[in-house]
Amino acid sequence: MAELTGEERLVEFERRIDRGEKVEPGDWMPEDYRRNLIRMISQHAHSEIVGQLPEGKWIPYAPGFRRKLTLIAKVQDEAGHGQLLYRAAETLGKTREEMIDELLSGKAKYANVFNYPTPTWADVGVIGWLVDTAAVINQTMLAQSSYGPYARAMKRICYEESFHIKQGYDSIVTLAKGTAAQRSMAQDAVNRWWYPTLMMSGPPDAMSVHSQQALRWRIKTKSNEQVRQEFVDHIVPQIRALGISVPDQECRLDGTTGHYRYSPPDWEELKRVISGDGPCNKERLEVRRKAHEEGRWVREALQAHQTRKAV
Amino acid sequence: MTKANAPVIEMLTALADDELVIGHRDSEWTGYAPILEEDIAFSNIAQDEIGHSLVWYTLLERLLQRSPDAMAFERQWLDFRCCRFVAYPRGDFAYTVVRQYLFDEAEHVRLEALAQSSYGPIRDAAARIMKEEAYHLLHSEALVERLGDATDESRRRMHAATATAFPQSLGLFERLEHEDVLVRERVFPGNAKLQTAWIERIVATFGAVSITLPLDGSSKPLCLADYGGRAGDHTSDLEQLIADLHMVYQSVSGASW
Amino acid sequence: MSDTQWETYEVFHQAKRGDSHEHVGAVHAPDPQIALQMARDQFARRMACTSIWVVRSRDIAMTDYQDDVFFVHTTDKSYRDPKAFDAPDKLHE
Repeated sequence: MAELTGEERLVEFERRIDRGEKVEPGDWMPEDYRRNLIRMISQHAHSEIVGQLPEGKWIPYAPGFRRKLTLIAKVQDEAGHGQLLYRAAETLGKTREEMIDELLSGKAKYANVFNYPTPTWADVGVIGWLVDTAAVINQTMLAQSSYGPYARAMKRICYEESFHIKQGYDSIVTLAKGTAAQRSMAQDAVNRWWYPTLMMSGPPDAMSVHSQQALRWRIKTKSNEQVRQEFVDHIVPQIRALGISVPDQECRLDGTTGHYRYSPPDWEELKRVISGDGPCNKERLEVRRKAHEEGRWVREALQAHQTRKAV
Repeated sequence: MTKANAPVIEMLTALADDELVIGHRDSEWTGYAPILEEDIAFSNIAQDEIGHSLVWYTLLERLLQRSPDAMAFERQWLDFRCCRFVAYPRGDFAYTVVRQYLFDEAEHVRLEALAQSSYGPIRDAAARIMKEEAYHLLHSEALVERLGDATDESRRRMHAATATAFPQSLGLFERLEHEDVLVRERVFPGNAKLQTAWIERIVATFGAVSITLPLDGSSKPLCLADYGGRAGDHTSDLEQLIADLHMVYQSVSGASW
Repeated sequence: MSDTQWETYEVFHQAKRGDSHEHVGAVHAPDPQIALQMARDQFARRMACTSIWVVRSRDIAMTDYQDDVFFVHTTDKSYRDPKAFDAPDKLHE
């Protein structure tokens, strides 16, 4: 059979995507597609791993059996999601060793939200409710991704994320029905998490180079703005129903479009936080590095044990 | 509380508190374990142990009319009856693995005995918990077997961890105040018997990786046991742990969470 | 900073007796026994499960997506399909 030229392969590849067929590991793919996917999936994996920390901090303090068990299970799921995502990225030819190295050296990026502090118990509930709702809207879209392993990982993750949202919402409902101190704790947390959560879906598409390409190859199927709008439309009525206010004077339903209007977040802040200068970036990476170094002897020992046995 | 129930209450409290406190310590690895897969594994174990404490507290609820949350989140630290062993800081991963292994073996002999208890509710609960514990043992034993015989560093750490943990772990079998009644009533066979069965099991595992335990010719420990916990004589590690456990729960009076 | 995340094992999960084992993902593990435990913790903590298989990823032989000749049938093979047969139920009405 005649070898296809690069140009012909690209045409073939894009036709496959246009037909709605999935791309699988081992398929020919444009280098940019591979690079873009590795970047997206590994960032996503890093976000899960770093995302364990802000909530994990509250495991020792969780009030009552139910909340404590739930929180351990939730933070555990994040490790599980990181595990699945690193594996999906590995199918594109990058090892988990390399990806973790890039995270720890500060070279890789991860979701902005996990660089904000969690000073109160209400933060745990609000992360589950707001942040994970935003995440699920994004991930439901990614479950349609053209890359098979990413789409498969997302299906499983979305299912577990719906538990994350429910437990977070349940915790905030309890606070909203609670004492004045609890209610103000919930309001305060919503105030602090509102804009960081809005930023999660990424900068407006016109500002994002990656976004255009990802859309063209159906790595993702919706623009950042679409995903953000979906989140706002979904969450604003929920927040208000609990007697909590949205910390944005401009936030109201637009009768003509049927969508909520909202003030855009500070994109300069997103840039700063993503490139390492958020309130907790340093702390998060230091904690991860320390855990990684302290665990090194265990990884090496189990490896050595197997190598010796195999001889 | 009726007088007649005091021995059972004492034993159940010790069982429940051991599980809660070790589960709390295990959960400190969530997010920090040596590798992702192990992070997931330890989080499962933490959930299981805390879940087991809930089973025992639920039995206590019938005797004390005090909810599991009240027992765990409202009781003063000095009223806890866990052994000191489970409350010590998590240490390095070697200490965590050795502690978990020693605990899992103790649980194994304890639950096997309790599954024969004359006290029906304990019998049923033990049979339920035993199934999850069997998996913990598989997990911790596999790690002892490997880490105990892998690299110089892993051997050094595992030896050191065992030297520290073994005398502490004898506290799991500290005599209960009402032990005689419990044995006579065949609620359980007594801590001395359980300890003997336990030593037989752990000696084999440690022996396979050339870790020797300080025992005399008839398998009696030669070291001083770290007792006190069953009588409420705890170390400040438990005080700190319970303060953390209670922090949010007690932060707003009369609140639900 | 050379690190090891161990080898990968592909995980096959059987939800209930009688079902096929289905590929659900992979785990990083130092050896097969630990791989089974890790697969259990990662893939059977919510999903019902009666059996797990693990196999070292590098031991799997696979076809090449590029090699489209491998699965192609260009001549008529409809005779292997039950739908290709239309003999009547009865010989006479």
